[in-house]
Amino acid sequence: MIEIISKQILKIILLLLAVSVIAFTLVTLSPVDPVQQYLLGAGAVSPAQRVQLEAYWGVNAPPLQRYLNWLCALLRGDLGTSLIYRRPVMDIIAERFLNSFALMMCAWLFTGIFGSVLGCIMGMYKDKMPDRIIKKLCYILCSAPTFWLGLIILLLFSVWLRWFPIGFSTPIGMLNSDVSIWQRLYHLFLPALTLSLVSFGNIALHTRQKLIDVLNSEYILFARARGESDRTLLLRHGLRNTLLPALTLQFASFAELFGGSVLAETIFSYPGLGSAVSAAGLNSDVPLLLGITLFSALFVAIGNLIANILYGIIDPQIGKGAGL
Amino acid sequence: MKIRRSALIELAFITLLITACRTSALTGPADVKKDEVIIAISSEPTSLDPTQGWGHGTTPLIQSTLVEFTQDMTFKHDLATDYSLSDDGITWTFTIRDDVTFTDGVKLTAADVVFTFETAKDSQSSLDLTFLEKTEAPDDTTVIFTMTQPTATFLGTIATIGIVPEHAYGDDYGIHPIGSGPFVFVQWNRQEQLILAANEDYYGTVPAIKKATLVFMDEDAAFAAVKSEQVDIALTAATLAAQDIEGYILHSVTTVDNRGMTLPVQPAGKAATKDGYPVGNNVTCNIELRQAIAYALDREYLAKVALNGFADPAYSENDGLPWNNPDVAIETDITKARQLLTDAGWQDNDGDGILEKDGIIAEFTCIYPSGDSVRQAVALAASDQIMDIGIKINVEGTSWDDIARRMFSDAVLMGWGSSNPYTSYSLYHSSNMLRDDYYNPEGYANETVDAYLNAAMQALTTAESYEYWKLAQWDGETGTAMKGDCPWVWLVNIQHLYYAREGLDIGKQQLHAHGASMPLIQNLKEWTWNE
Repeated sequence: MIEIISKQILKIILLLLAVSVIAFTLVTLSPVDPVQQYLLGAGAVSPAQRVQLEAYWGVNAPPLQRYLNWLCALLRGDLGTSLIYRRPVMDIIAERFLNSFALMMCAWLFTGIFGSVLGCIMGMYKDKMPDRIIKKLCYILCSAPTFWLGLIILLLFSVWLRWFPIGFSTPIGMLNSDVSIWQRLYHLFLPALTLSLVSFGNIALHTRQKLIDVLNSEYILFARARGESDRTLLLRHGLRNTLLPALTLQFASFAELFGGSVLAETIFSYPGLGSAVSAAGLNSDVPLLLGITLFSALFVAIGNLIANILYGIIDPQIGKGAGL
Repeated sequence: MKIRRSALIELAFITLLITACRTSALTGPADVKKDEVIIAISSEPTSLDPTQGWGHGTTPLIQSTLVEFTQDMTFKHDLATDYSLSDDGITWTFTIRDDVTFTDGVKLTAADVVFTFETAKDSQSSLDLTFLEKTEAPDDTTVIFTMTQPTATFLGTIATIGIVPEHAYGDDYGIHPIGSGPFVFVQWNRQEQLILAANEDYYGTVPAIKKATLVFMDEDAAFAAVKSEQVDIALTAATLAAQDIEGYILHSVTTVDNRGMTLPVQPAGKAATKDGYPVGNNVTCNIELRQAIAYALDREYLAKVALNGFADPAYSENDGLPWNNPDVAIETDITKARQLLTDAGWQDNDGDGILEKDGIIAEFTCIYPSGDSVRQAVALAASDQIMDIGIKINVEGTSWDDIARRMFSDAVLMGWGSSNPYTSYSLYHSSNMLRDDYYNPEGYANETVDAYLNAAMQALTTAESYEYWKLAQWDGETGTAMKGDCPWVWLVNIQHLYYAREGLDIGKQQLHAHGASMPLIQNLKEWTWNE
């Protein structure tokens, strides 16, 4: 087990290195000019100042040298200073990640629980009324783009019904020290709902299919012949056999979750990593963009690592190293 | 049965959440506090440190400045009690108030002023202090600025630099500022909100608004926030502002936030920029063609069709400012436009409605940043009008990065406008030609204009500098105006639009600069609620 895990960690390190090279190359190839971005909207600036700015941001150094500088700093734990926030990238990621993590975990649990429950219901009632209704709903949710769904939810619950705030993670005008956990959850609800609705259809449909496969198998036929009820069939045979693919999907959805959170957070003005990365991208904030890219790669890789470890626990065959 | 149960559980969960939070979380329309205001704007500051650019172009709110702008863009004393300029225009001497303290109780002295300007100069931020040589404080209330050359725009720069406390200045000053201005910093949640409170010990009139919360959201989100009555005032766009919202009044503010077309003045193929981008355009390099476009445009109509009427005609980069030359305005005159073209030999020989001359077709591309609905609308409406005189403008939306490469050889729908005449220098001085800072991509240079601009920058008095700024625009024979060299065809000054809750008085707004967020709140200390 330990050997497998250490192997996986080595893989993650190599992956991060590869991601850093690719991300840095892409940024270098793109025509973003941090100096330009800095000047836009700042009013009149004299040429002498421009030269100073360019020297400060190292615009004229060759790319390889800039990459090595950056990598060295990275290894020392220094991700640089964000251009738009004028603060260390590490601090911003740490601060934002807590918000995003809360959001993604809520959405993730919501998706996992409701997705597999509804998937099981569909599987049990295959081609009957509940299956047909939920299936259609899942198809709609699968094909609906996150931003569109987010806007509809925003319009419905915030603007028309006024049940929920239109965004942010805390009430407007309230001091941080006065904000309760309930208020945070209350502000979290709509973005989490949006995020979970998007990936929820996938989980439900996969669970449904797997359950149908299981229920069509010969051992189920045998069990049925022995007189087992639908309920015990599902609990004893169905769930256990659908759990593995559902778990894979669930942990593999970390990447989707991260992608979706960029849009969900932007729509609901929620201050997480997702909205930070879109702000960084739009404002050519190279250090922050690279920092978050690396961090999200790490996050997704850890999700996959957890899935691999859990496999070993759920299915001992894989745990012995056969499957990895 | 199972579905129904899960739906019920979900519903119950939602209701529970709402009842748990509603009591304290929602600020409904019923309990609007009459000394607090919630302002939705689109652009968030990067730092609240005046030496890093905070307040530049407007006022810093949290800090106070030596002098401040008046409504009509002249200057009045703020921290300063008096100031004078030496006869050679090199040395500015300021006397400052003796009774001002920072909000942490420490006295503000001339040493803080020196510290502020030296930090600002060293910070490499976008504040223009290139011509400042040194700053000295001979005693606690006197500050002496020594320049490397006479700089008439220096007062304008001083009016936007807030004084920071030397004793409480550190790396995190930008996120925890202390100042001596009308407002005190309370809290800043990035990408969410900035909370300010009135400074009860302010040496001027203490603001009537005791707590101001700036929330940062884009125009669509702000519109939703207004509709659900969660904010008191919100920035909006001309395309959204046609709707009435109950309980809110639409305010429009006149601006120098201009939109115009830069037209490459050099012929194509002769030169390239230092980065190797092509320069020049064989159609727009003809002055009669540029002027014909300028005369053919009906700017009032343009504002009406493109921007729901929320714009004013623009004739220069500084309409309505004290250094604007009124002679730059022109009347719409299609006959004159046609005459200019005919006289220069432009004719429609093949009957396709587009003019030709020596094998060159009067057709060019105008690019704008895609996603900017205002520029798109203005560009399309203008090209429609110009088609009447036989010139075809192909309007094309693209990215800023692409614009940065193509702006030297294509027309661009640009926008500027600031409260500092230095903008005119950047736009037209030949030293700034064909740089990648978007000011002068058209490649404009005129020796006479350069001389006026230099004279304006080095003038000893503000009044004298204004005269030179005006001459640079039009001296009776030449200039940057559309009746002169016409490197720009100016189109409209867009109005800045805000939905404000009924009863909120946002004072008399100054002429707004480019960017609609910060100019709105520069007079926050004058805002009140009417009963």
